[in-house]
Amino acid sequence: MTTNDKGYIALLGWSLNAVEAAAKFDRRYLVVAPEWAEEYCQKHDIPYLAWNFERLNDRSMEIAEKLKDMGVDVAVPLYEETVEWAGAINAVLMDNPRLLGQSMLMRDKSLMKRRAQLGGIRVGIFEEAHDREDVVRFLRRVNQTLLKLDGDPNDPIHFKAFDKAGCLGHRVIRTPDDVDSIPEEEFPALMESHLDGWEFAVEAWIHKGKIVFLNISEYVTLGYSVYVPASPELEAYRPQITQQIEKLIKAFDIEFGLIHPEYFVTSDDEMYFGEVAYRPPGFKVFELLEKVYGFNAYQATMLVFDPKATTEEVKAFFPTPVKDAKGYAGCFGVYPRRRVVSKLEIPEETEDHPYFDSHELTAPLEETVTKRTAFGTHWGLIYFTGQDAKTMHELLKRQEDLDFYI
Amino acid sequence: MTYNTDQATEQKLQQLLERLDDASQQLQDAADFAKPGKLPRVLDTARRVLLQEGGCAALEARSQQLEAAGIFAGADWENPQILVPSLSSHSLQSPDSNLVVIEALSELRLLAVALNSYTHPLISAEQAHHYLTQVMAINLALLFTPPSEAERETQGRLAQVPRSLFKHLAERIGYEHIIDQLIDEIWRILRQRPIQVEPVKRMVTQIAICQQDPNIDLGGSGQGADRLVSSLYGTTQACREDPGVEVYLDRLTSMDNKALQSEATGFARAMHDTGLVSPYHAVLLHHLLEVEDYLITEALGLSSTGRDCFMCYRQLTLTLIRKALHPATAQGIYGLALLLERGILYQPPVAPALWRQLGLKLSAWSKERLTLAFGAQVTPEARLLEGVLCILGQPLGVGQGNNPTCQSARALSMWAYNDPDYLLQMLAWAARDDEIIMHFEGQPISSMESVSGVAKELPVDLDPVSLLVVPHLDRIYAEMGRRCIGREGDPHRWVNPEFHGWWSGRGFRINVDVATGQLHELDGFLRSFYACYHPYYNGNQPLIHPQPAGIAITDSAARFIGWHAITLLRVALDPEEVMRVYFYNPNNDSGQNWGDSVVVSTSDKGERFGESSLPFTQFASRLYIFHHDPLEGGEADEVPHEELEEVKGYMERSWGADRQASDSPLQATDR
Repeated sequence: MTTNDKGYIALLGWSLNAVEAAAKFDRRYLVVAPEWAEEYCQKHDIPYLAWNFERLNDRSMEIAEKLKDMGVDVAVPLYEETVEWAGAINAVLMDNPRLLGQSMLMRDKSLMKRRAQLGGIRVGIFEEAHDREDVVRFLRRVNQTLLKLDGDPNDPIHFKAFDKAGCLGHRVIRTPDDVDSIPEEEFPALMESHLDGWEFAVEAWIHKGKIVFLNISEYVTLGYSVYVPASPELEAYRPQITQQIEKLIKAFDIEFGLIHPEYFVTSDDEMYFGEVAYRPPGFKVFELLEKVYGFNAYQATMLVFDPKATTEEVKAFFPTPVKDAKGYAGCFGVYPRRRVVSKLEIPEETEDHPYFDSHELTAPLEETVTKRTAFGTHWGLIYFTGQDAKTMHELLKRQEDLDFYI
Repeated sequence: MTYNTDQATEQKLQQLLERLDDASQQLQDAADFAKPGKLPRVLDTARRVLLQEGGCAALEARSQQLEAAGIFAGADWENPQILVPSLSSHSLQSPDSNLVVIEALSELRLLAVALNSYTHPLISAEQAHHYLTQVMAINLALLFTPPSEAERETQGRLAQVPRSLFKHLAERIGYEHIIDQLIDEIWRILRQRPIQVEPVKRMVTQIAICQQDPNIDLGGSGQGADRLVSSLYGTTQACREDPGVEVYLDRLTSMDNKALQSEATGFARAMHDTGLVSPYHAVLLHHLLEVEDYLITEALGLSSTGRDCFMCYRQLTLTLIRKALHPATAQGIYGLALLLERGILYQPPVAPALWRQLGLKLSAWSKERLTLAFGAQVTPEARLLEGVLCILGQPLGVGQGNNPTCQSARALSMWAYNDPDYLLQMLAWAARDDEIIMHFEGQPISSMESVSGVAKELPVDLDPVSLLVVPHLDRIYAEMGRRCIGREGDPHRWVNPEFHGWWSGRGFRINVDVATGQLHELDGFLRSFYACYHPYYNGNQPLIHPQPAGIAITDSAARFIGWHAITLLRVALDPEEVMRVYFYNPNNDSGQNWGDSVVVSTSDKGERFGESSLPFTQFASRLYIFHHDPLEGGEADEVPHEELEEVKGYMERSWGADRQASDSPLQATDR
């Protein structure tokens, strides 16, 4: 049912779920992905164009022109590494050079924070680190500012790569010894003071500069679990959060797209900006949204990117947040707690719980478990759906104390 | 109280069914390329449904939808008309939950077909019904008994799934249908005289229970059950009503010799008839130890051969009875009787080796393994002695269990048959020293130093001797294979003779090119096989020592499944004057349909207990490796061309179908 008054959309990066959604949607699409996806796409009749997404280089004109010649209207980035490509390509497709600059902003955590600060958004203390001494100095200064005496435990600082997705490359530094374990290759990087508060994320779809759908995702424990919609307690902050997102849209000059920012609410009800990503969130949040709202978030993203999409069309697509949700959906990332494991065994209490939906866990490939160096490197997700937020919250928390691999 | 829990379980089931319906809808709606990603959720949710009360019924009702959604797509279950009932056990006892669930869903689907609520394009209601009764008969242990130790180890909670499934199937199909099939099945298995009779005994026990239960209507079925039930529980006059061991002993003490004789012959007859031994038999035997030797020989049902052997080795035999044969180890009585009849005690080393076995100090590990697998009703020493008597009495009754260790099982069988003193030595090393050292081309291989065997886990479902020895053999065998890496050709050429014994022929023929998997030198291979083994072409020489051989196992659709190790025992004319190959298959149940009308026989064609047989040409068509003495050979050229063409025909229509090399004579001549 694809017609020419709907856009022709390129998906940058390979995601089976995105492709499935696009195939079921009502407009033409094209998968732009590395060569290893070629055979699969050919076998299953998926429209495909091979491209290697290394660091943005002078070949970006080539792909942009190619897509323009094909009549593609817009490119949607599916992964962090494809965001600047989307910017470069869309700058050409839409004849809007500023899109490239905007995407570069989204890719650099340090620049992003500066821009946010300039836009009047609260951020924590942050700085760039070029070597280990910078980190030690920052650690000391931050703790001095917090009036710590000698012997008090340090508040941690966060050490993050500029341009990695989500929790990859995110270290928590507490002592000068932790600093020593940072390898050379990870510099330069961003350092942030620790924000003590309630951390949460938002998925906001923006069309013609306006928010058309705002979802608040509640983290139970960072790197472990998340659920949507947020609990009533967090939802109470919706008006404030909406305001912050609008500030963000203004500060970053966003006309259209899907943004995934992270915020902290501190004990004095202040909202601090963490970072923002211009691509779908991890931990399968899109899939969780589909479970509770029934709409497909990949399709939603394609819709708001599509320059030919009308305001009415967009309005009709999205439900009302929270009100139209049929309950809560959450997921938990499993990481073995033991150092040596031989098999997968889902705990009976988890499986028998009425909220338990399904899992993606498989038998372990190796017996020794590497120490978890970063958040987010889980061995698979398990999914829950249910009617009560508190139950969901406690259930997700409980999973942290259970062994799934023994 | 019950009302509330009923409601709660009902609610739980409903919730799960909602999830299942959602998941299967997603599977159905998904594009082909996306379906594999959607399947696990359907299967996992179905598993949880199967574990609930009423879950099976709900899934039965949904089977048409589930099949339409594509759960069987691309797998064997997509073609229910060629499914093999005996393979269902393997799936249902697997630790892989997906396999268990798919098999269960397939049976439930066939149930719906059999009951005419689902018209299936590929299988009729009658066919489905027939298939299901066979599956149930084969898996009846799953219907009546709780999970065994082995099942619990491997499957955990999953073991409950096949049980719920079978309970449901039995209720829907009706017990009467199952029982008759089951009885046939039991007789078929017993005719092969396996040494592990626990599963069969459980089945017989359950039949007995069914017969007693007023709530189960057996209709006119269960006729052939009496012989089986009585062989265990009411074998003779004095234990007819299954009074219990104490009462029976009491009765014995007040019997005169004539009455005891009657008891003795009663037990002997039942034992030799069925292959099953009643626990009461052991009570009698012990009592007879204090009465008269002659009655002991009567109770064992010995012929003059056995009696003579008993008299010559009286002390040994009486000690074996005293130490090994108790009500819990009564099956050893049959083993002992056959051991005496075989006359192997006349071989000089055997009696001293058995004395050693009687006094063998088991290692802590061995005791632990035996207790783990068999429980603590008797000492591990007694349990092992029972195992020794059985394996020496019934060399062809060894089974490999649900493990990939056919070579080790074959070796044990061959040694029990041919080299009993060697077997006893292997057992002594394994059971006492926790180590076996064998030599390969002059170099020692220790089972403890070798890295790993073919089986990934320690097997639990074996007879006592196999339980202790197979892990060692398996590792040694694998190590021998490893030492052949880099040599051209199939390693069995070197491994088999060193592993099994000096009498395994050093001449080696294989009809598959190892590198390409294609058939090669077929004509030469077959002529050689005929010349070495067929009496018409080898100078009418009967096979002297059992020989290891390799076959290509095919399923009932004649498709290749895998390579398998067997023992060639003899080649002879059957009662209908057809030349047959008689062989031993370690695969527990040898009555197999190999497709293309090649059906392995285990009785009625001149087989001795435990032998399988096939007509010569059909057997040759499945052969891929054999050994021979290179110094002996018959008239290879005399073999008629038509005979070879017949063999090649069977091969071509089965496992040889896609293995034609370009220069093979099987290739079609018009190109």
